[in-house]
Order: sequence, then C-alpha cells, then structure tokens
Amino acid sequence: MSAPTGNTYSNTETLVDTQKNKRAVTALQTFGRSLGLGLYSLFALFPLFWMVLISFKSDREMFNTLFIFTPTLENYEAVLLRTDYFMAFFQNLIVSGGAVLVTVVAGVPVAYALARYNFKHKEGVAFQILSFRFAPEIMVVVPIFLIFQNIGLLDTYLGLIWVYQLITMPLVIWVVRGYFEDISVEVEQAAQLDGYRWFEVFIKILIPLIKPGLVAACLLAFIFAWNSFTFPLVLTGFQVQTITVTSMRYIASDTVRFGQVAVAALVAITPQLIACLFIQKHLVRGLSFGAVKG
Amino acid sequence: MAELVLRNVYKQYENTEKSWFRKKKAQKLDFAVKNLSFSCNDGEFIGILGPSGCGKTTTLRMLAGLETVTDGDIYIGETRINNLLPKDRNIGLAFEDYALYPPLTVYDNLAFNMRAKKMSNEEIQKAIDYVAPLLKVDDLLDQKPPSLSGGQKQRVNIARAIVRRPKLLLLDEPLSHLDGKMRQGMRHEIKRMHHEIKCTTIIVTHDQMEAMSLADRILIMKDGELQQMGTPMEVYDNPENEFVAGFIGEPPMNLLPSVIQKEEGTLFFTFENSPLRVEVPKRYLGILESGKKVTLGVRPMDVMVAKQTTAGSYIPIAIYENLGDERRISVRVGDSLMNMITTDNVVYERGQEVQLEFYAERTHLFDPETGKRIRAN
Repeated sequence: MSAPTGNTYSNTETLVDTQKNKRAVTALQTFGRSLGLGLYSLFALFPLFWMVLISFKSDREMFNTLFIFTPTLENYEAVLLRTDYFMAFFQNLIVSGGAVLVTVVAGVPVAYALARYNFKHKEGVAFQILSFRFAPEIMVVVPIFLIFQNIGLLDTYLGLIWVYQLITMPLVIWVVRGYFEDISVEVEQAAQLDGYRWFEVFIKILIPLIKPGLVAACLLAFIFAWNSFTFPLVLTGFQVQTITVTSMRYIASDTVRFGQVAVAALVAITPQLIACLFIQKHLVRGLSFGAVKG
Repeated sequence: MAELVLRNVYKQYENTEKSWFRKKKAQKLDFAVKNLSFSCNDGEFIGILGPSGCGKTTTLRMLAGLETVTDGDIYIGETRINNLLPKDRNIGLAFEDYALYPPLTVYDNLAFNMRAKKMSNEEIQKAIDYVAPLLKVDDLLDQKPPSLSGGQKQRVNIARAIVRRPKLLLLDEPLSHLDGKMRQGMRHEIKRMHHEIKCTTIIVTHDQMEAMSLADRILIMKDGELQQMGTPMEVYDNPENEFVAGFIGEPPMNLLPSVIQKEEGTLFFTFENSPLRVEVPKRYLGILESGKKVTLGVRPMDVMVAKQTTAGSYIPIAIYENLGDERRISVRVGDSLMNMITTDNVVYERGQEVQLEFYAERTHLFDPETGKRIRAN
C-alpha cells in the first residue's frame, strides 16, 4: 500500500484522505439517490395519501389543506354501512375475475394458434385482436348497448364479462403469444416422440413455461377490467353494479361528497394494491423477460 | 436395434402461403428429398453429410415421423414405419437445439418417455442409472435445463434419446452448437457411447470431419439427392463426382479446369492463363486425347513443391501460411487458387517462385459438364 520511500507517512495520510473522500462521495451519492427517490415517491404517492386524509375528514374540513384535524369515521360509516357498496365491490370482483378467467381459457389457445400455426390471414387476425384496444370505448358502447338490449344481455354478468373481453383478451393474447413463440417447436416434437398427447404436453411443459407472462398479463388485464368505467356505466343498471360506477353515486347533482368518494376509491384500489405488491416481481419479469430457453 | 431400409423415398413440401386476394391451389415445391434409397445394418453408425438445405434433416425427420413421406417406403427391421406415429416407431431423436423440457429436472427429462409408457419407478431408476454415467450426466440429475451449459444440455439430450432403448438412434447435428474444444470431446463421447450400446445410429451433420471420424459409412447428399455412400476412406479416396470431392477433406480438393494438350509426344494438363503444365499420368493415357477438357482434382496433400529442378515452369507463391504443424501454400492457377499442404520444415515466402510436383497416381479426373468421375480403364 505504501511506497518504500522517506515520505511514507505523508503518502499513507493522503491515501487515507482519498479513501475518506471516496467514502464521503459514495455516501453523498447514496443520500442523493435516496432523496431523489423519496421525493419522487412523495410525488407519486401523495394523491393516495391525500385520499386517505380526506376520507377521515368531515365535510366541513374537506377543502382546507390542514394536516391536523379531528379524524372522523362518518364517511366510512356512510359508504360501507349505509349503502350497498360492498355488494358492488363483490360484483366487480365477479365481473373482472370472470372476464380474466374467460380470457385465459379462450385466449391462451388463441395465442398458441397464432404462435404455432400458419394459416390464412394470420397476421390480420392477430392485428384485429390488437385493434380492439384502439377504438375508444365510448365509440362502440352505443351499438353494443342496442345489441345487448335486443338480446337481453343488458345488466347481466354474462354481458359485461363478454364485453370485457375487448379489454382483457388482446393483452393476454399478445403477451402469451410472444412467450409461445419463444418456446422451441422441437420441445413439443420431443414430447410427441416421447409418446405424450398434445394436451398433456400443453399442461406439463408449455403452461409452466408461459406462466410468468400469463400471470403478468392476467394481472394487468384484471386491473384494466376492474377500472373499466364506460362499459359498466352504459351496460349495467340495478342488477349488476361495478364500483367504478357506484363511486359516482357520491357525486350528487347538488353536492359532491368528497369524503365518501375517497372512501369508495380507497376500497376500490385495495385489491389491485394487494395484487401488485404480491406479484410485483412476477410482473416485471413477466413483461420484460421474453426468452424462454431450454 | 435393427436394420433400416429406405426405398425410393421422396419428400415434397407444399407451399401453404396463399395470396391475400386470390385463392390459389397449394403450390407444390421442389422435392426436398429425391429418390433416396439406402440401407444400414444392425448396429451401424451412418453419417448423413451435406450442405444446408440438402434434405438431410428432412430425411431424419421422416425417419422420426415428424414429417410425412411423400412417396417410398421406410422399414425398420420387418416393419414398414411410414404411417406409424412417432411414439410407436421406437426411435430416439436428439434434437439440434436440445429441446429439453425446461420446467423439469434432468432426471424427469430422462424419465419423461418412460413415464408415458407407464413403466414402474424402479425400472425408470434402473434405466437412468445405466444411461446417466454413460453420458456423464449423473451429477446433473437434480438440475434443471436452464442452468446447464451447452455441452451438458447436449449430453442430456442424447441421454434422453437413448434411455428408452431405441431401435434406431437419430442425432441431428449434435455438435453444431458447441465450441471447438467441446465439440471434439463430445465427438469422442458419442463414439464411446455407440461402442457401448451398439445401437443403429444415424448422425446428420454438415461438418465432414464429424462424419469422417464418427461414421462407419457416410452418405453424402446434395439438393435432396444421394451423391455417394461408402466408408469414410472410400468417399475420400474415390469420390464419385466433383461435389463429393470438393466436400470431403479440409481444405477441400483442388478442382482445376484444364485442357489436355500434346507437346513433343507427351500429353499435358494445361490451364488457362497459367504457365503450369502437369504431365498426364500413365493410367489415363488410354482415355485422354489432345484437346479434351477435364477437371483435374488433386488433394492439397498430393501436390508439393518440387525438391529438385524439373522440366515444369516456375510459379510464384500467392499465399503462405505457417500453421505450426503444417504449412499451407497457395499458388494461382488461372482464376483460382490451388492449395497445398506440406509438413516439410522448409520455409517459403510470398512471391517466391517454385516448381510443383504432383503425385500423379492420386489425381482424379472429372467431366467438367456432368461433374462425374472419369475413371481410368
């Protein structure tokens, strides 16, 4: 470490000094980075925080910006106990979950077909599926309303689940298709030589391989379906209610009950929040790691 | 283990890509395999060799049942297997890019086939205990394919193909994804494995060295057609045509277009735009005459720099490479380069003028139009 000359001492000293400096710089960098990230998370999470805050405020305190106030549970009471908000919550769960379930059952085979087989207009079909996401919902919702009215699907679970396929299906098909394309056909052929039926190979080999992508795509699809507003607004009424539409109920024509809206929104985002926290790792991996190598 | 016979096998692919607007009938493409007939004996190691797109992998896939046979018959032993399902053919196929099952451990990969056959766990264990040390995968049994190296994957791949005790083992370019040193090691292991299990084996490769070193007999294909089949030395020493001559050997045989000319009562091979003249060996005297065009084939080892001054003309060395064990010299003959390999310890340099000497008895003649070998009477 030290040079074998007369000024060893001073050399060591400078060495220690530079090491100290380095350490100081690293510490500063870490601090700066933490500060930056902290500021960003404050920026990103503040709306959420504010929502929590106003959910505890009474109507009188709603529009001041004080952080110190007497918390009240009257908003929670009003939303959770005095209305059927939980009902809407579960109905939303049924509709969104059902939509994702149908998408998985129908979409994964579609993705497989698009990845493996060569047929006429294959790219056209794939693009058509993707294009469902292009059109604004408001544009198609009126014709769908008329059709549903005629065939009696208005205000039913089935109708909403069906229409939600427009939201969930393209996402799942396109993500999972990429995963299937990355799996070598030879793997399937090897299994064929091994004497397995296609379906067994699909369950035993292919499904585990596409799982990260499938989980991530399903989660996103679920969130999109959960948050969908236009379709349930027009296509549902009294039988089926989703929370996105129900939350609107707290915005009355004469007054907006922000405290109750905040409670409704908090309840509404809970499942997504939980799902994202739990599957976060899967989510990043599933959407960024395309390659499956065997 | 059994004999394999192919009789007049054809394969034609159909072009299923159709136009957007017009309905076209499925277009028939050229034959990928044309009139292929060969047989191999029980326990033999056959190498199918050819450039890419020559139909060798198609042939292998037809044997495995992954492609249909357009015409002709394939027999394993007494059974015609054309219409048998892949799983009923009793074939082990090692895929080129391994095609292991990534979610399963190596052990389960090996056991996958036997589980489909509903074999008992003890039997499976026994079979794997036999095969795993043979291909040195016994330490890997608990790992999953993504954590293995290329060579390990290939060993597992081959182990998976042989663990089911196939009648016929097919290896599809097993070494092509491995690097140089690994390739050599793997080659030895395949050879050793074949000695051990003595299973009829077919290896498909585009690397002539692999085929030469592994196979008992080599089958050379080009454009879907069989060019020649024989032992490695047969195809090396007696190539049937220009293609085989140029394909076997590294560096390949020099093929020089030449014209026979008579000077002072002696026949010479002469070359366009080159002062080089080579005396026609005695055995060809009966079939060659002045003015005839032939392609002269000579292996790089069979031509050398003359040690003593001869009647021939001097030619400058165009490229000189010293590779340590051997030295490669190239001279320009007309438009092409002629390569020579010498193990003498004489050092030359570029531009130096030398005389050449041919091993006359080891030259080959080919018809420049058909590419067929011209044999001395």
